[in-house]
Amino acid sequence: MSLVFNRRNLIQSAVLGASAAALPGSAMAQARARIVIVGGGFGGATAALTLKRLLPSSDITLIEPFDQFVACPFSNLVIAGLRDITSQSFSYDRLEAAGITRIADTAIDVDPVAKTVSLQWGDDLTYDKLILSPGIDFRFEALEGYHSGMTGRLPHAWKAGSQTLWLQLKLQALEDGQTVIMSVPPAPYRCPPGPYERASLIAHFLKTQKPRSKLIILDAKDQFSKMALFKEAWEEHYPDHLEWRGASNDGTVVRVDAEADTVFTDFESFQSPAINVIPPQKAGFIAERAGVADATGWCPIDPLSFASTLQSDIHVIGDATIAAPMPKSAFSANLQGKVCAVAIARIVAGMSPEPTVLANTCYSYTTPDEAISIAGVYSNAGGKLSSISGAGGVSPLRADKAIRNAEAAQAHHWFETITAEAFG
Amino acid sequence: MSLGAMAVAACGGSGSERAAVSEASDTDVASVLVMACTGCHSDQSGAIASLNVYDSDQLRDALLQYKTDANGTTVMHRLARGYSDAEIDLISAQLGQDDVSP
Repeated sequence: MSLVFNRRNLIQSAVLGASAAALPGSAMAQARARIVIVGGGFGGATAALTLKRLLPSSDITLIEPFDQFVACPFSNLVIAGLRDITSQSFSYDRLEAAGITRIADTAIDVDPVAKTVSLQWGDDLTYDKLILSPGIDFRFEALEGYHSGMTGRLPHAWKAGSQTLWLQLKLQALEDGQTVIMSVPPAPYRCPPGPYERASLIAHFLKTQKPRSKLIILDAKDQFSKMALFKEAWEEHYPDHLEWRGASNDGTVVRVDAEADTVFTDFESFQSPAINVIPPQKAGFIAERAGVADATGWCPIDPLSFASTLQSDIHVIGDATIAAPMPKSAFSANLQGKVCAVAIARIVAGMSPEPTVLANTCYSYTTPDEAISIAGVYSNAGGKLSSISGAGGVSPLRADKAIRNAEAAQAHHWFETITAEAFG
Repeated sequence: MSLGAMAVAACGGSGSERAAVSEASDTDVASVLVMACTGCHSDQSGAIASLNVYDSDQLRDALLQYKTDANGTTVMHRLARGYSDAEIDLISAQLGQDDVSP
């Protein structure tokens, strides 16, 4: 049966009253499933709010240890001193007001057979459906000499918050003429164009505040997102303040020495008081504990519902998933949260998830008032996520400044909209 | 009584009740399709258009124009090319404000 509420028959049922009980929408209204969500980022917060709306009688519990979410998108502006970190921070007040139970604790284990989640401090939780939106963790072991205790000396700033401010501080403390180093990992990682937006804005900071300094990007890849557009912007704006080295030009960082403020490629070493090591990545650790991550460290999913293909009744959304060609972005996580919530609501009400069309848009700043974008449209039919041919793509090369300015303004509007949708 | 008139009667036409209807708990095809739109478009107008001010014909015309303009380079051109005409019809009907126009 596929008859469900839409706006028109909602109005009709409001008028007709009694017939509403026969609709599956009513099954959703009455369903009393226990749904636990781990991770209060763009994916988890959105899934929680969407589920509470679709399944108002169900118990929706969000496990998130931090009282404030600090958003990664736009945090590169904070690093470059162009934005206050308070503009990046969001509370869970609206989620709690909507009737979502937030537990300020860390999920440390999942038993997919007993269907329980263990918490660091509190009692185990039992679920009917579990959504993991754990974001990323770092593969410290993938870089020789690197470990988790070094993130103060070699900040990653790839999870926003104190790390963001720490990298900002290191840039501000730089003496004019000193070099800044950024190490970029191999794909896949959170926010494919993120390192290059960061590089642009750091170069802008150097150009305007430490004009004898420059940034060297050491990259484990030869190709990257929006590459032609970034390179065009760099040639125009930062010819003296930014140098990019790809993998085939000895760009891959293979070893770090935090004590010596030095990173090593195969043939060279680079010393700087401001080194940003963006480490190689994997799904947030709870994914491994739950048995939903595969040998790659990421989580395979059924794209129709974002159900794990490895465990029953566990869904995974956001950066932790293997969802290519959808990128690991806030937009993707937010939309996956909604699509996953719809799928779970339908399953709980005795219906099947239906295919849909998904999309993504990512803006990147190249200067404080110019931005470029990439967009994609995806089908989740036929058991896989696939790009819809003829759609998507990047901003035009050699565009008027007005186009870059317009996309910068759109980026700002996007940030306001998506954070309001996810957190209120 | 037409559907539109019923909607006005049911909603009283006020902004807050209008919002309550447009946020109804839906999981049908159209409701899920438009979930991609609301990541960028809110009820606030600005650098990105608010969708609360267009009727479904206006939305359909705009989306079809984005889709078929081979030289268009905006984000909306790039996105609209990924949707079939039937999907554009569903999206336009879902987001259009026909029901609540006085």
